[in-house]
Order: sequence, then C-alpha cells, then structure tokens
Amino acid sequence: MPPRQTNLLQGTLDLLILKTLGLDQMHGLGISRRIEQITRGTFQVKPGSLFPALHRMEEAGWLASSWGESENNRRAKYYRLTKAGQRQLAAETKQWERISLAIGRALEATS
Amino acid sequence: MPLLSRSLSLLRNLFRKARVEEDLNNEVRSYVQMLTEEKIKAGMSPEEARRAAIMELGGVEQVKEQIREVRMGAFLESLLQDLRFGLRSMRRSPGLTAVAVLSLALGIGANTAIFSLMNAVMLRQLPVKDPGQLVLLGTGRGAGDNGGFANTILYSYSFYGEMRQKNQVFSDVSALLSVQFGGMHGAIGGSGNLEPMNVQLVSGTYFSMLGVKPILGRSFTEAEDEPAGGHPVAILSYTWWNRRFARDPAIVGKTVTLGSTVYTIIGVTPPEFFGTTVGQSPDLWIPLSMEKQVSPGWNGLQDKWFESLYIFSRLKPGVGVVQADANVNLLARQIWREFAGPVLTREQQQTLEHAHIELTPAARGLSCLRFEFSVPLQILMAVVGLVLLIACANIANLLLARATTRQREIAVRMAIGAGRARLIRQMLTESLLMAFLGGTLGIGLAWWASEALLAMVSTGAQRVPLDVAPDASVLAFTIIVSLTTAILFGTAPALRATMVDLTPALKEGRGGVTVAGRSGLAKTLVVAQVALSLVLLIGAGLFLRTLVNFANVDTGFDKEGVLLFGIDPVDVGYKLDSRLVNLYHQIEQRVSAQPGVRSASISYFTFNQGAWSTGVVVQGSRPQPEYSPNVIHNVVGPSYFTTMGIPLLVGRVFGPQDTATSPKVAVINETMAKEFFPGGSPIGRRFGIGDDTKHSSDLEVVEVVKDAKYLSLREKPYPAAYYPYTQNIQYYYDLEVRYAGDPTAIIAEVRHAVGEVDRSLPISYQNTLAQQVHESIANHSLIAQLSTFFSLLAVFLACIGLYGLMSYAVTRRTNEIGIRMALGAQRNQILGMILRETFQLVLAGLIIGIPIAVAGSKLISSQLFGLKPTDPLTISMATLLFMAVAAFAGYLPARRASRVDPMAALRCE
Repeated sequence: MPPRQTNLLQGTLDLLILKTLGLDQMHGLGISRRIEQITRGTFQVKPGSLFPALHRMEEAGWLASSWGESENNRRAKYYRLTKAGQRQLAAETKQWERISLAIGRALEATS
Repeated sequence: MPLLSRSLSLLRNLFRKARVEEDLNNEVRSYVQMLTEEKIKAGMSPEEARRAAIMELGGVEQVKEQIREVRMGAFLESLLQDLRFGLRSMRRSPGLTAVAVLSLALGIGANTAIFSLMNAVMLRQLPVKDPGQLVLLGTGRGAGDNGGFANTILYSYSFYGEMRQKNQVFSDVSALLSVQFGGMHGAIGGSGNLEPMNVQLVSGTYFSMLGVKPILGRSFTEAEDEPAGGHPVAILSYTWWNRRFARDPAIVGKTVTLGSTVYTIIGVTPPEFFGTTVGQSPDLWIPLSMEKQVSPGWNGLQDKWFESLYIFSRLKPGVGVVQADANVNLLARQIWREFAGPVLTREQQQTLEHAHIELTPAARGLSCLRFEFSVPLQILMAVVGLVLLIACANIANLLLARATTRQREIAVRMAIGAGRARLIRQMLTESLLMAFLGGTLGIGLAWWASEALLAMVSTGAQRVPLDVAPDASVLAFTIIVSLTTAILFGTAPALRATMVDLTPALKEGRGGVTVAGRSGLAKTLVVAQVALSLVLLIGAGLFLRTLVNFANVDTGFDKEGVLLFGIDPVDVGYKLDSRLVNLYHQIEQRVSAQPGVRSASISYFTFNQGAWSTGVVVQGSRPQPEYSPNVIHNVVGPSYFTTMGIPLLVGRVFGPQDTATSPKVAVINETMAKEFFPGGSPIGRRFGIGDDTKHSSDLEVVEVVKDAKYLSLREKPYPAAYYPYTQNIQYYYDLEVRYAGDPTAIIAEVRHAVGEVDRSLPISYQNTLAQQVHESIANHSLIAQLSTFFSLLAVFLACIGLYGLMSYAVTRRTNEIGIRMALGAQRNQILGMILRETFQLVLAGLIIGIPIAVAGSKLISSQLFGLKPTDPLTISMATLLFMAVAAFAGYLPARRASRVDPMAALRCE
C-alpha cells in the first residue's frame, strides 16, 4: 500500500473508532460491525488494522480498556473513550470537516 | 533491526511480559470465538465457521505480532524521544545540570563508599560452601586464653575433640586459635633470612568443614589433629603465594622454618579465601596440633581448661539453630562436668548452672572490626543518607525554579495536545538521566573514598586487609539509591510544573506567572533542609566534643616521645631460661646507651594491647568471694616506669637485686593499694595471684605508682600490678624507647643496637605510643571527622538552598521593591525585610530540627564520651553557627534587594 493512502486511512480509522465509541463502550468485533453498519459497508475494518489501532490509541491515552461479559456471555475486552479521547474526537471532527470542506471546494472549482 | 528487537525484548522483560501477552492472547481468542458464533448464527457449520473466522482475522499470530509492534514500538519510541529531549534540555542549562550532577555524585558517592565498607565489614558472606549453615559456638566477643572454667566464648582443644565426636547436630566441627600470630618470623626454603609472616592455627577439620578446596596440593585432614607436634605441615594463602612466591607452581613440598621446626608446604587456598576472620588475612595455616612448636607460650593442647579456641561448626541439613542450641548446651555441660572431675566447688557449680553457649550464625565470618565499627558505620550511613536527602531537596528546588521559567513552554505543549502524564514522564526521564550521571560519577568517587576510609579504620603500619572494591551488591545499592533520588527530587517539580492553568499562562508574558504554589513547596523544602542540616551539625558537635574529651583523658603515662618496637625471641630459638633474661637486659642496656635515647624497657604490654588479668589473694585478709575485682598484671623491665613516664609514689623500683632466686616482688598502682591494702602503707605487704590462699605470701609489694589507663581511654581506674621479668621468665615482644630528637634516626639506632646484641633477632618498628593511644579510639575519630565533614557539607547545601530561594524571590519582587522605594522605603528597611523573611525560614527549620536532634541523639549515646547526648552547649553552639552561616546566605540577596534602583525597577515592567 502506498504510504500516503495508509496515512489517510489511519487518520480516518482513528476518527471512525473514536466516533463509534462516542456513545458506549464496545468490544473489538462490535466496533468493527458498527463501523460497517454506519458507513453502510464502505469500510470493512479487518482485525489486522483494527487491533493495532485500538492498542495505539489506548497507548496515546484516548481509549481505556477493561474486561467484561459480551452479549453471549463471553469474556471480551471492552474499549471506551477517555476524556482525552473525547477531546481528540472533537479536534479530529473539526479537522475532518475543514479538510472535507476544503477538498469539496477544490473539486467544485476545477470542475 | 537487531538493536530494536533486543531493546524490545529488554522492555518486555521489564514490563511483565507474561501478563501483557496473556491479555493479548485472550483478546484475540475472544474475538475469534465471537466471530465464529456470528457465522454459526448465519448458518455455517461450526467447523466451517471457525475456519472462515480465522481466515477473516488473517492469522492469530500475525494479528498479535502487529499489535505487539504497535505497543512496544510506541513505548520504545517515546522513551527514546524523552531521553533525547532530556539530554537536549540538560545541554540547554549546563549550570543547573552541573550543580545537580555534582551534588548527586558527591551524595551518592559518599553513600556508596560508606556502604562498601559496611558491606565488607558487616554484610558480605564468606566465600565458602553454603555459608548459611555455619554457626559459631558463642558470640566471638573475646580472644586469647581464658584459662578459667566453662567459658562460653573460648574453648579448649579437648572440648573441641569431645564436641566433635559426641554432637548430633553438626555435620562437622572445626576449631581455630582465637589469636592470629601476627608478627612471626620464619625462614623460607632453608635460607637464613627471617621474614615476617602471619600464622593462623586451625584444626585438621577446618578447611573440609568450610568446604574450601585448595587450588594446589591437599588440605588438612582430621588426621592432622593428633598427635601433638606430629604434623609439621602448612597451607599457604593465595595472596602470600602470589606476593612472596610469584605463584610458583612447584611450591608444594617446599619448606618454611619457624623456630626450630621445619614445615612442609602441602597446599594453597583459592584466591577469594582470606580465612574466617574479616579484617585478618593469614599468610599460612598450620595445624593446631603444632601449637607448642609454633609458639611455646601457647602450650595448652593437653590442658582441659586452656580455653583459647573458637569453634566453628556446620549444621546438618534440616537442623535448626534452636535444636542445635539444645544439643550443644546439654553436651557442653556434660563435657565440662567430666573435665572438672568428681567434686565441683560451689562456685564451679554456679558457673555451670548459668553457662549458656549462644550459637551465632557465622555466614559472614567473625570480626572484631565488626564489633568496633558496626555502630559507627550505621551512624555514618544515616548521616550520608541525610546529606543526600538535603542535596535532593536542593535539586528539587532548582528544578522547580526552572519549571517556573518553562511554564509557558509547558502550557503551549499541553494546549497542542500533550498529555499531562506524558509530560511528567518526560520530566522524570530527565531526572533519571541526571541521577544516573550522578550515580556513575559517584561510583568512581566511592572507589577512591572507600580506600581512604579503609586507611582511617586501619591501625598500625599495615592496612586492614579488606576488599572494599565495589561488588554486585554495592552496584545494586548505588542503582537503587540513584533511582530513589531521581524519584525524590524529580516527582514534586514534575507534578507542580504540569499543574498549569492554561489560559492565564498563555496570555501573560514571559515573566510574572503565578508561582504561589511553587514558592510554598520551595519554602517547605528549604525549611526541611535547615532542620536536617542542623540535626547533622549537632551530631557532629557531639562527636567532636567526644574526641576532645578523649584527648583530655589523663592516661597516667606520658604518651609523647615514646617509640614502640616488637622483638621476636621465639622464632630464633631462645629457651625459657637465663639466656632469655640476659637478652632482655642486654637490649635495654645497649638501646638506652644510644645518643638521643633516654631510657628503654622490655614489657609484656603497653597500652590497648589486651591484658593478663586475674583475682588476687592478700595475705592476712579474709577472702571476699562476692567482691574481688580483677587485677591487671604486667611484666616489665626496671626502666619501664621511667620510659612510660608513670610517676612513682613511694618505695623503690625493680633493680639488679631482684633476680630469679631472690624473693619475688611487685609494684602496684594506687587503686590496688587503696582497694587491697586499705589503711597504712602497702610497702612490705604480701599478696598472690589467683584465688588460692596458699599463694597469698608469694609477692612482696615494694612500690606504689600512679594509676594509668591500661586497656582503653574509657576504662575506670583498675587495680594493677607489675612484676620484673627476671622473676617471670616468659617470651615478651614489646620494647619501648623514650627518646628526644629525630625519631627516624632513633629507629635506625635502635635496630642497630639490637643487632649488636643478637644479629638474628627480628626487630620491627611498630608505632609511636601517641599513635597507639590515638588508634585506640579510631572508631571515634572516624565518626567525628566524617560527621563533621558531612555536616558542614549539609549546612553548605542548605545555605545554597536558602540563598537560591531568597535571590529568586528578590528577582521576582524587583517591581514591588521598586514601588516600596519609590514610596519612601529606606534601603535599610528593604534589607531588614528580606533578612526577616530569611530568618523566618531558618527559625522554622531550627524549631523543627532541635527536637529531632534531641530525639535522635539518644541513638548515638553509646558513641559519646564525657557528655550527655542532649549537651546544651553543643546544641546552642551548633544553632549559633548555623544562624551565622544562614545570615550570610540571606545577606547577599538582601543587599541586592536594597540596591535596587527604583526607576529601573519600575521601568522594567
């Protein structure tokens, strides 16, 4: 994968995860299914990118994790947003809006 | 990436790899299970579902590895970042870094040096097999020949044999003579040259019991225990083999001649073994069965009450000390009873009833150094610990000050998203860097300092053979101390610096950020420094005054102008007869005829060399069983009292009329005259040595001399008696010479004169008498000198702290001071204001410090002499001294404040 695309994707993935966890705590599979659901299948998050992202964001202090029971009474690791994560969500949302607005305008101008 | 992967594995080890891994495992597994269940619900068979789930995951291990990389990699990266940042910011403030690192190096170095000595003297285990199983019978507090009844520290050779055969708790029992023969002289390989050597007598079981295997030849066996005089063999220490024989591989089979006996060398011990007595290192070991041949004065193998041995034993596996204690004491009583014969006196019965052998764990060997220095070393450890604390407080204050100047930078970084935890971690990394730099320098310093310390605890011409080079436990100690200091001085500034209220911090200019919190904490630190350094200063004052009190003790003899020599008539084959007496006489004559020599005398003891002490019976007085103080005996030449400068009171000194055949005479001291011969002159009265009235007319008192100190400066007046060597033919090793002029020339003269009497007689210069007196309080002067040095260092550090705080306050308040002056405040008023604030801090410190010092000084009372631990003079002197120094530290910033130019100060804003 070319690096620029990775970066973009990573940033996007972070934002999506933060957004998903904005409402409630969730386990890995739940997050992945929810992202699929809210993006209507545009993004299918593979565990190979989901878990590193979760751990990296936990390391950065945006997420916190704890062990709990799943819907089917399985032990699962739940992630939730920390205060820093909420701030991060707000900052990234704002930034995303700016970028998408800018890119939208740029595309309109050339067409 | 070999470096990265290595660092990674290091980090994993550090941060509880197992738990992280398990967590990771569980997380991925639960994901797979849930995915499988999802697929089963969607209609797949369980097997298919599982396979599909793993396919979708892309391999369990692969995912785990990806996660690992993110986690560990991120951690490592931020750590490296912190280190880089730390180094950069240390470079940016080189002054602060230098002060911090240097004071840490000094503090950590001092702690490491004292700890190295403590480690060598008190903590290190003997390099033998399973040292934990070794026990010593008795406490080891005592040495020599007891010659009494049922001693619980020293034992006879027969006792050792019986104990070895009959006990049920030891896998082996060994014995060694409680005295190392320090200044023996022997010839190597049949040459006529006599060389000094240290000899230790041990039982045949000694090396096998310890599990020390010779690196060359063989070790002793129990066959060497019997018969007496039958085993002229010797084992060399590695050190001596190396030093004297240049590690001659063909050493086994060569000989050493001591006196008239030729000993065959049968082995060499391993390099790490220095014997079982810490602070001694024998050159050669010889079987105890050769005692009479090695030292004719020690002839007690057959005597069941010649109690002169330490007994070291190895506990059988599984046997505890309590069980061993019961067995040993039961057995000891049986043995003693058997030795004593069928009828016991009442006194013997009582002794036997109360006798209890204490079993002392002996993993760390035995040491008189330990008895003498363990309390001083512990006190010094506490002292240097406090100095390090004070240094930490200083560095914390410096870092706080810098954090204040960096507040804006910190605020900016937090505003753009740096987490507080991350910033704290970064600052702590910087503190750790400083601590490790300080620690590294400190170890180097300690290496040098512990050698210097060793010289301070050494007495006599030779350095105590102790290995004080840093070993693993010293390094571990230093690392722990460095870590602790980093946490101590780094935490508070890091926490305080990151407690930033962003908006005002960003809005305001470079200066003038609110620092209320900072100065509160800083003040607390300075007050603590003042309190602690005052405690140290008072302690040092007490130790110094103790030293002065010792110097003022009336020794009863004139310690100046006397040289002490050692002679060794045993090893050149003198017998106990008139030839020996003639030798002593000749030496005294020849030596005192030398120019510059005033008088010379042979004696048994001088000062602080141990004693021969027993009870006495006085002719015509009833025996007093409940009150019979021991008398200290000495055997001397006729000029002894002149040479030592002990004043004569009444009677006549020993003279040529006192011969082996004339009536036996004695000189006694005042205390003996008062206690044993009350009422009337003691001259012409008679007494005897021991408690048998049969002997009460043995000795006639011919003279009374003034009391002197015999064993230590601390002792109360002892009754003492002196006898002429003409009437007590024994081997004596001490030669005292009173002189005037250049001691170096005198030493050469004395050697020459003794050589004229007998060319083969070994003679060595030992010490001056003054030095010998000084060394008897070596532990006190060690503690006084070092605590004085460290307390002054502590006061200096505290004053730097005080100065730093006040000059910072003055800088910050330049505006305020300018306004005050503009409104009419006089310079003196400003000076007074700043000084007042300084003294408020000092006063708070003193109020806290004095009660701590009073409470703490009770712990050191055993090390004081001639004053109470709460000596008011010392406390007030220390307080005054501290206030004087503090006044100076406070005056400098106050003067600067008073010279503020109001116009400039106001314009500055």
